[in-house]
Order: sequence, then structure tokens, then C-alpha cells
Amino acid sequence: MDAIRDLFRFSPSFRYGAIIVTLVFALVIISFFSPYEPDDRRAVARNEPPSLQFILGTTSQGQDVFWMLTFALRNTLLVAGLAVLIGRGVGVLLGMVSGYIGGTVDRLLSSLVDSVIVIPRLPLLILIASIMRGQMSILTLGLLIGLLDWAIPSKRYRSQVLSLREREFTYTSVFSGMSVFKIVTQAHLPFLIPFLLADIVSGFLFAIGLEVTLSILGLSDLDTQTIGTQIYWGNYYQALLTNRVWVLAAPIGISILVVTGFYLTSVGLSSYLDPRTRLGRLEVKSKVNVPETEPEVTTTDGVTP
Amino acid sequence: MKLTRAEQLTHTGANLQVRFSRVILSSEGYSTVTLFKEFVLPRLVQWVVVIVIGVTITFMIPRLSPVNPVDQALGRMTTFQTMNPEATQALRETFLDLYGLEGNIFDQYLNFWRRLLVGDLGPSFTSFPTPVMQIIGNSVGWTIGLLGISTFVSWLLGLILGSLAGYFSNHWWSQLLEKILITVYPIPYYILAFVLLMIFTYYLPLFPLVGGARGTPGFTWEYIGSILYFGFLPALSLIIGAVAFRFIMSKALTTSEKSSDYVQYAELAALPKRKILFSYVTRNTMLPQVTDLALSLGALFEGALITEVVFGYPGLGYTLFNAVNSADYNVIMGITLLSIVGIATASLLVDLSYPLFDPRVRYR
Amino acid sequence: MVRKLVFLLLLVLLVAPTTFGFAQEPQGLPVTVPREQMFVLDQIFRYGVAGNYNMWAPGAVTPHRHALMSETFWYRDQETGERIYGLASSDPIYNDDYTQMNVDLRDNIYWSDGVQFTADDVVFTVETLMATPTLTESGWGAQFNQFVDSVEKTGDFGVQFNLGTENPRFHTLFETRWNGVYIMPKHIYENIDDPTTYVDVNPIVLGNYVPIQFDPNGFWELFQRRADPERSVAGVITGNVGPEYVLSIFYGDSARKAIAMSRGELDTYFDADIEAFQTTLDTTPTARSWYTEFPWAYPNENDDRHFFFNYEFDPILQNRDVRWALALSINMVQLQTEYIGGVAKVSALPITPTAPLRTLYYDPLEDWLINLQIEIEPGTMYTPYDPTVPDQIAAWAESEGYTVPGTPREVFGSGWWNFAPDVAERLLLDNGFTRDGSGNWLKPDGQPWTLDVQAPPDENDAFRMATAAADMWSDFGIDVNLQGLERNSWDQNRFTGQYGLTTMWQSFALTDGDMWPQMQQLHSRYYIPNGEDARTSGGGWLNTTRLQDPQIDAFIDEMATLLPGSDESVELNREFLMYWTENMLSLPVIGFKKFVTWDERYWTGFPTSENPNYMPLYWFQAGKFAIQNLTAAPAS
Repeated sequence: MDAIRDLFRFSPSFRYGAIIVTLVFALVIISFFSPYEPDDRRAVARNEPPSLQFILGTTSQGQDVFWMLTFALRNTLLVAGLAVLIGRGVGVLLGMVSGYIGGTVDRLLSSLVDSVIVIPRLPLLILIASIMRGQMSILTLGLLIGLLDWAIPSKRYRSQVLSLREREFTYTSVFSGMSVFKIVTQAHLPFLIPFLLADIVSGFLFAIGLEVTLSILGLSDLDTQTIGTQIYWGNYYQALLTNRVWVLAAPIGISILVVTGFYLTSVGLSSYLDPRTRLGRLEVKSKVNVPETEPEVTTTDGVTP
Repeated sequence: MKLTRAEQLTHTGANLQVRFSRVILSSEGYSTVTLFKEFVLPRLVQWVVVIVIGVTITFMIPRLSPVNPVDQALGRMTTFQTMNPEATQALRETFLDLYGLEGNIFDQYLNFWRRLLVGDLGPSFTSFPTPVMQIIGNSVGWTIGLLGISTFVSWLLGLILGSLAGYFSNHWWSQLLEKILITVYPIPYYILAFVLLMIFTYYLPLFPLVGGARGTPGFTWEYIGSILYFGFLPALSLIIGAVAFRFIMSKALTTSEKSSDYVQYAELAALPKRKILFSYVTRNTMLPQVTDLALSLGALFEGALITEVVFGYPGLGYTLFNAVNSADYNVIMGITLLSIVGIATASLLVDLSYPLFDPRVRYR
Repeated sequence: MVRKLVFLLLLVLLVAPTTFGFAQEPQGLPVTVPREQMFVLDQIFRYGVAGNYNMWAPGAVTPHRHALMSETFWYRDQETGERIYGLASSDPIYNDDYTQMNVDLRDNIYWSDGVQFTADDVVFTVETLMATPTLTESGWGAQFNQFVDSVEKTGDFGVQFNLGTENPRFHTLFETRWNGVYIMPKHIYENIDDPTTYVDVNPIVLGNYVPIQFDPNGFWELFQRRADPERSVAGVITGNVGPEYVLSIFYGDSARKAIAMSRGELDTYFDADIEAFQTTLDTTPTARSWYTEFPWAYPNENDDRHFFFNYEFDPILQNRDVRWALALSINMVQLQTEYIGGVAKVSALPITPTAPLRTLYYDPLEDWLINLQIEIEPGTMYTPYDPTVPDQIAAWAESEGYTVPGTPREVFGSGWWNFAPDVAERLLLDNGFTRDGSGNWLKPDGQPWTLDVQAPPDENDAFRMATAAADMWSDFGIDVNLQGLERNSWDQNRFTGQYGLTTMWQSFALTDGDMWPQMQQLHSRYYIPNGEDARTSGGGWLNTTRLQDPQIDAFIDEMATLLPGSDESVELNREFLMYWTENMLSLPVIGFKKFVTWDERYWTGFPTSENPNYMPLYWFQAGKFAIQNLTAAPAS
């Protein structure tokens, strides 16, 4: 509890980020109390602009934009969460193993990873989505996106481990007889956590972006509410051309809010957890405001996600 | 130009690490031959392996699709009028023959490599008999132009702005810039592109809806001017997002570098801040950023698919999109192959030049 | 220093387009031809093959080219129902047993290089197509090889076909719905070694327009009128020279087309969704569709939208009463007005209620429809047909403030089935269905009744009609699973039979009233069971319903032997329609409508409801007349 109070006090990013994230999760929880089912059409009057009765207006299909948004948020976060879990999970594991063990194992794994990286992802995804014969559910979507996104992160984690391995403190640990497992978890992991947190955010961004892209192209499960499909249907019924901007503004606005919230939170968290600044803070605690530092995002051979 | 004593010390500090690496490498007795055998050769092999695996995967996947080109071709014909079913059968045979799809998948695979090694990517199915090389040739120039320019401009701009913001992080403009770009960064690209399109072609009809240029190709002012004109909006949409990303990266790197010892020393020695930033700090953050640049350029051939579809730009991405939708295997293979080779080569070059720059990494 | 350079660079990049690109108006067009001399039409697709005008080689469909460049014997206009004489000057003349066909040809038509069109060209075309199976355009070669023994000229302007088997429909190969055999220029193609791979960049054409420029990426093509328009078919028929230049350009989806038209960069588009069309009306005062006011859209394209049942998916669908129950639980007036916007014609029979087909089928069968009875419970009959549906829709239109431009039957099609969920309920109860506690239907075996309905969202009306039906059947108590599938997925599911109901479209009759060509696939010889691909027997469309009915087989076999358009043929067709309808073998809903929109800013003279001289469907081969009729709009 002390830690969280500290965070709030010292880090404006964390403050704002946490507020936004709480709001987002509140919306997700609210979705379980929605008076309408997500696939109910003609539930309310059509094409109503935002008013007291319909906070965010209604769609051409007679759905309340606000309540549909809560469902969309829930589903998109589900997809993104699944994708990040699989993608980053596999990525961290592979990267750390490959980086630390080195040698032939490293060489083999790296080749595998490189072979997968060179394949252009979006066309591949479009291809697979069209093969899936409309059997896409949001879970399959999350799985698919995750499976496409472990390669580049694994390269990054590998390079992180590579550089950590050669630091003095590693040698110290090795020479003092720590086991490999202890070194990796107790010495290296704390350094990786800030990076991991920042990376998870970019993973979320990537997954949400990809989900939106696929849905807009009409290739995902068009019958479930996600941020992407809300935009698809908004476009389908020509929201912009007919000046019914609220139908599109809501999902767009929410997606920006979600990612900004996560990003800010992670910035705050990672600088708090970064061992370097933690040391600095310990020394000058309650006397001076330690300036915030950004997480050390050493993308040694990273690529734009 | 003679360096002041302070600058000399800083210079030394910043470059110490590089000097170190050379000492280490030469003291471990690396001759050029060993270097090649232990370092370069495995990577070359990896490059070949990567390309072969990537190509094989892309060969297999479209063939797993239930949508096959013969049915597509027949479907196109029968959409507009009903045809005699017997005639349809006869046509099916003709198409199978024409497209070279007889034989099992292994034969097709071998044939594919055989043709590839003489530079023949085969004919496109939907645009039969136009060779895939020609189709790629028509669109590749547009994609390279658009992406090349956008990548460079956004990289440069993002780097400069990010470094400045990172170093002068307490100034109001740095924080404002960061807030603006952080808001822009998470916007899904499609939305950004679509909103730009609507604003500048509909609400303010300033830019064209489709195409790459106007008039007959030639080195006239009009033609080149029209290229810039038609490409402006798609390039803008790419640049905005990429600048935001590069800015955030740059700022993070610069900020962490800022706390290094040699920077603190330089500041204490009252060297001008701008000089510290651009002559020393930025240089030390260059490595990952140049890596990013190289890899982005390698990814050029993937084509900015969404950009081109949204803005009607006649590049590789749009062609690939159409090919995927109409199961045109040969075009899909051709473009993907180009993309794979591009990325693999860029990756190889980056890998090879890596240890020369960052001595903190050693390869066992 | 670097910062200043970057700033300068950005400035230059911003200014350059402004200076150079804005030079010409309208800025978005890719060619530098005077706008008032150029007619810009919607290309519909992006072309895969650019610059190859070899119309017979295998390749993608290229809609507008055949209207501008190619000729065939006869054109069937979908609006007037008339046969227009293209290259032929007579009707097809058959012998008694339909094994020989003679045609007289025009003697006043010339190729664009001045050489006269003669019977030699026809003979050459047919023989080349027969000898070269790789010239696969529209499957003509394959069909010639199936029917034609030999072809010979009976004079410079006469040709005779000797058929191996009797075929009273042989002439349809040369008569357009979509297209007819494109005639090749003998004097050019006889010198080509391999016509399949020949790339024809500067074609010699019989039509009125010659291609002069094209976009290598397939987004646009520019055509120029030939110097002697009076020696082309369209010129002769319309007596008009037509626009000097024609540009076809592909902008993208409905929204982009609407935007282009509002900028004066598009003179006609072939269709848009209703919202984009409304935007066009709001932003482009000179633009209009078939009707100036409601219901705007062109309703006479000969195609019809149904719900087709997959008879093997759920055996319950094989029960005629169940199908009738589905029909009676739909509120057609609400479907047509609320979901479709009132702009399409209702069709009770599986053919479009266009003017020619109304005369042939709807009007004569109206009495039969009114008196049609179905049995609900043993001994209780019910008359399901409601002839007042068009009147109810007209009343709705008037209450919305619209004026109905004609009689309700002309504008809104035929009557339809009553909205009678109570009767539907009785039908189901009589067949062993029951309702559970929450009012949902359970099948006779006790399982909840789930309906699977599939439609592709990119086929607008099909999707909206499916949405409407899903809503209404849900209200009725059926558990409906509506799937909006991407086109390829939707197709795949049909081929392999993985669907319950699907929204295929088919008009069972052509504009001339002939039905056999449209229905062949219903014959059980094309039957492929669920799970296998329906295309392997040569089908892929109607045979995806997996219907096996010996009565239908008998109908189809008999229709094949009759001359299309003859009285016996029409009579038999009517009997077929009656059989189909009383058994509710498919559920026809609405006819096709297209928001074919023309902008009068630069060009006028296109077909409209006030002036229905031709069909406005410019992308069919017979669309050439609509284009040819254009004259420059008076400068305002």
C-alpha cells in the first residue's frame, strides 16, 4: 500500500494512467449489467444523436452506442490480452533461454525466429483469416494475433539477456556460485521488468490495431461486438458521409483512451521499478523530488511492431 | 578543429567503449579467417535457410485455402451469365492445364523453385497471361517511392524531435510535444488514414481519390509534380504514426543516456548543450535506431497495404490485397518472396555490422 | 543547423504539391483531356490486366470494355424487353428440327481501320474459338464444340450454322443478357500465331470507341471516339455521335464514388449503398437516378433475391408446411419499407417483376395467386396471397411525404404473402411443433428449432433482407443464427452445403421470358450431396440447394425442347412457376435494384423513368446505347 501511495505521489503518469485504466475496467464491469444483449437489433430508436437518454447516441441498427461500447471494450481487451499473453509469453521464454544458453541452441532458435520474422504478417493474417471460412471467433483471433507476435519480442528479450549476461554483476553472481535459475530470476528479471511492462503496452497496441484492421476488412467475427467491428458497421452504414459521427467517434475515442491509459500506467510503474531510480529514490526519499526517468527501452535490434 | 580539453575528455569517454572492444577483439587473437568462419559464414547460411523456410511456408499456405484459382476463374465467368454445365467442365480442364496446377503439391513446389532460379515468377492467374514480374514491376516503384520517402522523413524527424525532447525534458515544448504525440501514437493506423482521407478529399476536396500520378509518364514538371501531389496524403498518414513512434523511442533512449557519466561530466564542463546532444548523446543512441531504420527499409516490399487500399495508391500492397482475395498464388508468392528477401537481407546486414559498434555484446 | 534544414525540407514538401498539382481542374483526374469532352464512368473493378485488349483470352471480367468496343448479333434491352439488331439484320432463322440456324448480317458496319465487317469475320471467329480451347472467354469455344458441326457463309452478309444436336437456344450465344460472342477482326487475327498469349495493345474494333491510354495499375482507361461513328452499330441505332472521350475509372467503395461525383470527377456510377446515394443527392444537385424522387433506384435489372433452403441441412426444411410457415411469419411491408427503404420491388414469384416479365407472367398469374389455397389443418384451407402489398407500401410512401411515380404495382412490384403469424403457428402445431415456456419453437423431436441464415454484407440488399427476416423470425419464436460472412466464405459454405438458408439471387426468367437456361442446375443430374463441392458436377449456383424433385426434372427436360418465346414455352413456364410457388421451394423476396446514378453536370441524354429508351445499365454489353445517346449538357 505504501508503494502505491508513493507511486501516486511521485509519478503523474501513473496517476493519470491509473485513473484511465480504472475507468476502462469499470466500463468493462458495467457491460455485465447492460440492459441490452450485444446482438439485439431494433432495441432502441435508430440514428439518434447523443442525448440524455442515449449518452452516446444510437446506431442505424437501433442499438445504444454506449452499451455496445462496453461490450466492444470487453471483447477487444479479451482478444488483446490473449494475444499479448501468448505472444509475449512465448517471446520472453524463447528469448531468455536462447540468450542465456547461447551456442548452438541459440543459433538454432535464432534461425527459427528469423525465418518467422521475415514473413510479412498482415498479408499472412489476411490469408489465414480468409481460409478460416468465417469460423473466426474472438478467441481464435486472439490466438492468431499472438502467434504472429512472438518472434520480434523474443529477439528483443534475447538481446536484453545478452547484454545483461556480460555485466559485472552477472559475473559476480556466477563467481559467487549462484545457480543459473537464481541468476535469471533474481538478478536479471528485475532489470527486464520495466522493459517487459513497456513491451506489453506495445503488444496491446499491436493486437488492438491488428484486430481493428482485420475487422474493418471484414475478416473477423462480424457478429461479435469489438472496437473494430463497431467501426466496420459504422462505416458500412456510412456514418461519416451521413454526418452521424458519434457512431464512429465512440469506438475511436475509447481505443485511444485505453491505450493511453495503459501506456501512462506502464511508464509510471516501470520508472518506479527500475533499479537505478529506485536506488536514487532510496537516498533522497521525502527530501527531494526525484525526476522521472523513462524505462530503458534498448531495442537493440527491435523493429517497429 | 582543435578540441578543448573538456571536449577531448568527453570524446574519450564516449569512445572509450569502442576502443575497448578493439583491444579485446585483437587480444583474443581473432584473425580475419576465423572471423569469417565463425562469424560471417554461419550468418550467411542462416540467411539462406531463413529465406527457404519463409518461402516454403508462403508456398504452402495459399494452397491450404479452399479457394483455388480455377474455381475463381470459372466463378468470374458464371457470375454474369449462366453457362452450360458441360461447357463448365470442359473449361475447368482447360484452366487446370493453363495454370499449371496439375500434378501433386510436391511437383508444383519443385517446379516453382526451378522457375524461380531463372528469374521467372510465373504468370498471374487473375491477369493471365501477364507475368508476375510485370505486375510487380508496375507497382513496386510506387511503393518504394512512398514508403522510402515516408520512412526517411519520419525517421529523421522523429529522431531529431525525440532527442531534443529527451534532453530538454523539462521544457514546456518538450512536454507538450510528448503529450500530443502520445495521443496520436495509439490511434489505429486505419482510422488515422481514413480520417485524413475524409478531411482532405471530402470536407475539403483538396486531394485526389485514387491513383499515383496524372498524365503520361515522363520527366516533365507536370508529371513529377502530380506524383508529389497524389502521394502527399498517403505519405502524410504514414509519417504521422511513424514520427510518433520514433519520437517516443528516441526520447526514451536519450533520457536514459542522459544520466550517463560522460554526459554529466560534459555538462559540468559547461559544454554547449546542443553540442552535447548531437555530437555525443545522439550518437550513442544511434545503434538501435539505425537498426530500426534498416529493418524498416527491408520491410518496404511488404507494401503499406492499408495505406494503399485506403488512398487508392497503386503500389505492391494493394496488388497483394487483390491477389489474396482472388487466390492468385503466383502474385502472392512473388510479392511475398520480394518482401522476405528484403527483410532477411536487411537483418543480415544489421547482424553483421553489430559487434563492430557495440562491444558490450560478445558472441560465443 | 539540422533543424533548419529539416524545416526547409518540410516546407518544400508542403508547397510543391500545391503549386504543381493544383494546376488543373478537377485535380483528381489522371488524364489531361478537356473535361467537357470527356464522359467519366465508374469502372466497377480495378483491372488486373491493363493494356491487353485481346477480349478472347482468359482473364478477368472487364465490364465497360465490351460496351465500348465489341459487337455481337443481337442485344436484349432489359428495360424495354426488345431485341435490338446489332450486327444481325434479321432474327435467327431455324430449320424445323433446330439443327440449323441462319442469320442475315448488316452491310453498313465497318471496323475502326476502315475495313468492312463481313460474314468472313463471323466464320473466322467461330472456327478460331472452336480450334483454340484456351480462348476461354465466356466458355464460347467449349459451347461451340458441343453444338456446332460446321459454320459457313451464305454470301458476304449471311451465315449458316450446322448443329450436331438440336438446340433451339443456340442463338442465345449471340444475344446479350450480359454479353454475346465478340466478333474477331479476321484481317488482324489471322496473322497471329498464338491468339491466347497475344497482347492486343491497339485493337481494331467494331464498336464506337478505341482505347488510347490506360493505367498500368488498372485503375483507369481512356477511350476515344472513332472518326466514323456512323459506321458503328451504336452510331447507326441511336443516330448520335456520342462523347469524344470516355474515361472509366475505379475509385473504390460507395463512399468514394459519392465523393468523386460531388467533386465533378465522376459522371455515373453503377451502384452505391443507400447512405452514399443519399449523400450524392445532398451534395450533387445535378445528379439523379432512374426516378428523380423516391424511390430513385432502377428496379428493372433482371435478377431476383430469394431465401434458398438447403434441403439436406435440416430435414425439417423438406416439409412444405414449415416453409410456408416461414413465409407467413414475415411482414413484407415492414421488410421492404423499414429495412430496404422502400426502393425495391416485391416479388412473389421467383422472377423479377419488370415490365416485360409482368406482361408475360405476373399479370396472367395474378388470378391464380389470388385464388391459391394451402391446407393448414386437414380440411381447413387458407388463402395466403395478399395482392394489396404494393398498395400498402404506396400508402407508407405517401405518409413519408413521397409521391409515388406510377401505379403501386408498377413501382413496388407484385403482391406477397400475408403477414399471418397466427396461421404460421397453426401450421407448425399441426406438424408436431410445440412452444416451450418462453415461447420458442421446439421441433417435433423436442429439440429447439434453430435456423441458420447466411448472407454476405457486401451484397447490400441481401444482407439487409436477411437481417429483417432474422428479426422477424426471432420475434416469431425461432432461434435464428444470422451470419454475415465475407464473400468467399459465403460462397464456400454454399458449395459444400454448410448452410441452412442462404440469400442467393436468381431470376428464373430472362428478359425474353425464357426460363430453361436459368434453371438447368435444379435438375437432379447436377445433384451433389452436402459436404461435397457442388461445382464438381458443373453447378455451383442453384444446385447448392440440394433439391431432388422428379417433377422439376420433368419440367426442365421439356423446356429444353421448346423454342424460347413461343407460346408453348411460355405456357410451360407458367406451369412451372405455379408448381414452384405452391410448394414454396424457395422464398423470393425482392427484385434487384441499383442506384445507377447519372450526373448532368457535363452530359445529358441518359435513360430515365421519364425517358426509358434503353436500360441505364451501362456495364452490360447492351449498355452501349445509353452511352452513345449522350450529348453535352448546356453550359450553365
